[in-house]
Amino acid sequence: MIGQLLRSDFLKIRRKGFWLLTVIGPLGVVFMQTVNYGVRKDYLLKQSDDNWSYYLSNVNMFTPLALVLGIVILTSLMASVENETNAWKQLIALPVSKMTVYLSKFTVLAALLLVASLLLMLFTLGYGYYLDLGTDIPYIDVVKFSFYPYIAALPVLAIHLWIALVSKNQGVPVTTGVIGVILTYMSYNLPDWLIWKWPALMNGWVEPLTIVWLGIGFGVLLYLAGMLDFVRRDVT
Amino acid sequence: MLPVLFVGPAIALMTGLMSNIAAMETEMNAWYLLLQYMILPYALLFLPLMAGVLSGLICRYEHQAGGWKQFLSLPVTRGSVFTVKYLLLIATVFAIQLLFLGAVYLAGTVKEIADPFPMMIIWKSVLGGWIAIFPLVALQLWMSMFWKNFAAPFAVNVIFTLPSILAVNSETFGPYYPWGQPFLMMYTGGASESVFYVPWDQVLTVVGGSLVVFFAAGWTYFQRKSV
Amino acid sequence: MGYVIQTNHLVKQFGQEKAVDNISLAIPEGEVYGFLGPNGAGKTTTIRMLLGLMTSTSGSIHIFNQDLNKERIDILKHVGSLVENPSYYPHLTAEENLEVFRKVYGVPKSRIREVLGVVRLSDVAGKKVKAFSLGMKQRLGIAIALLHQPKLLILDEPTNGLDPSGIIEIRHLIKRLPDEFGMTVLISSHLLSEIDQIATSVGIISEGKMIFQDSIENLREHAQQNVVLRVSDSIAASQALLVRGVDAKNQDGRVYLHENSDDHVSQAIRMLVQDGYAVYRAEEEKRSLEDIFLAMTKGHAS
Repeated sequence: MIGQLLRSDFLKIRRKGFWLLTVIGPLGVVFMQTVNYGVRKDYLLKQSDDNWSYYLSNVNMFTPLALVLGIVILTSLMASVENETNAWKQLIALPVSKMTVYLSKFTVLAALLLVASLLLMLFTLGYGYYLDLGTDIPYIDVVKFSFYPYIAALPVLAIHLWIALVSKNQGVPVTTGVIGVILTYMSYNLPDWLIWKWPALMNGWVEPLTIVWLGIGFGVLLYLAGMLDFVRRDVT
Repeated sequence: MLPVLFVGPAIALMTGLMSNIAAMETEMNAWYLLLQYMILPYALLFLPLMAGVLSGLICRYEHQAGGWKQFLSLPVTRGSVFTVKYLLLIATVFAIQLLFLGAVYLAGTVKEIADPFPMMIIWKSVLGGWIAIFPLVALQLWMSMFWKNFAAPFAVNVIFTLPSILAVNSETFGPYYPWGQPFLMMYTGGASESVFYVPWDQVLTVVGGSLVVFFAAGWTYFQRKSV
Repeated sequence: MGYVIQTNHLVKQFGQEKAVDNISLAIPEGEVYGFLGPNGAGKTTTIRMLLGLMTSTSGSIHIFNQDLNKERIDILKHVGSLVENPSYYPHLTAEENLEVFRKVYGVPKSRIREVLGVVRLSDVAGKKVKAFSLGMKQRLGIAIALLHQPKLLILDEPTNGLDPSGIIEIRHLIKRLPDEFGMTVLISSHLLSEIDQIATSVGIISEGKMIFQDSIENLREHAQQNVVLRVSDSIAASQALLVRGVDAKNQDGRVYLHENSDDHVSQAIRMLVQDGYAVYRAEEEKRSLEDIFLAMTKGHAS
């Protein structure tokens, strides 16, 4: 049942810019560095002995922001696909459980963001090669910097999807999203328990790998909370 | 719409309260220090992004259930509808700026800043940030009229706003980047002998120029929009 | 012949207000059931509960003799619906819209061509729906509802906002469904004329309460007929009749006879002629269903 619904949801998001955003996000993150290194490559190479690590940390400066912004945009866009003609009343009258409907929406977005993370890895590597940062390529770190923020952002995805799918006025999720983005931007100064800080992977209290587990754990928890709330609501 | 006004000032207040200005050894008036802390997330991200959210909200009723049709069948010209919506938006942003000023004062009072409150210069910053947002509001109003949903105009907004994090650090590129202007015009470290914190010709060309382009484009689009 | 839909003392409460108050629907198989009531009477809320879009405050719903609370998914496999304005994805073509739902129902792809044919949209199958007229969108909505060959079709105000030719077209389509596809149809409307032309049984709802439920013939029998006489002096004539014990009323310069059997009418006319009144016309005045409907819902409101 979930398979059928997923195929249906992937068909619905055609021509709505979902895939475009999935490509633009990681492209933009690496593009920032093409500008950064394009303007002052010599200066940047002098900042560290390990050019690859330094480059990765530069890329990762924008990854959390792009992720959270992407989540805000994609969740709101996902809601607008059904809200535009109130297709909810047709969707929920299908012979599927409301839980499956919610799971399908979440899965589609989680898949898109996973693709974005994969692209981020490829773009990061590609531009890194081009910059000629040395032969000692830290592949493991490239993978970590590409996928850890994604997993750490799952709770953010869960909470923003929840808000977007139950809000009649999409101004609400987008405003909440702006707050989330600013929290991510200021994450350095913020308490570690804030989920918007996690994609930056700089919580002092734990290893990055622990944040990954926390991301999965709280992601599931917030997902369940959102789903249960969605299920008990009437479709008007 | 009202609670939305308080979001930014609240974020700024939070930033201000979290800052540790007492620990800074400096000759500078402590208010400036505080202001610079508070401006960073507020002017760099919040104001430009919020310009988009507000534009979306102001077009929301018209997008629902064919409201444009009803609205435009009233004896009003399309040009005046666009202009009134635009004026409402910048008035709203002005209110947010005043609340921000209040947040600065509140944060400073809580932090027990002893230095005199530099009224003149904070006004400069508040007014400057307000003016710098004019073109961005025009662009976002256009985008919000074009798209029914909130997400697409927001995506456009994000794509242009995010690079200003880098742009404002660049002396060559920054002054020409419209989305970086709210920060540059609010940032008290700028050229203080001018009317604003950025040179007068930068205000005229970059802010004024982009305002003319975005407003004209949005206005023209709305004239031709089929409802 | 069983009931396809049966609700038992169905209630939906929003805060203090009961939008649906104790409704017991009984819809026999193979009927076109007209669900009538003024706007805001609770039709849409009832329909939303039938589709599981809303949960009821109390009462039960059985569709195909299965409890909706327990076997919602099983039931919905055989229910097609169009609730209020049609739902569609404007950025997709008509064919893609149907494909979105086909994937979930798991019916063969050939059904898409078939239903597009039924609603006469085959020519525009590849066009984006946002370019469609309202009538075309409505027909697409019906195509979506028919896609999985449901045994029960629920249509909420399907002709709302359509032009007269669109209304006639949809009406013809709905009329065909029970015979051609063996469907039971529930169609709601606030216009009796609408229901009068397609329904075989009727339920009338007002302010959340069911005030009539029976076959359309029985509703028509409620249309009691008066006999109207045009006479030379209607005031005096009606008084003359009243004096002799005939239930007559003077109104708009005419005499209305409430008792309308042949005997009574001929007797009344004889009396008038004997008394020297001139009788110009004697005709039957039929109250339209619309009048009954209005009288019923108004009577209930006061």
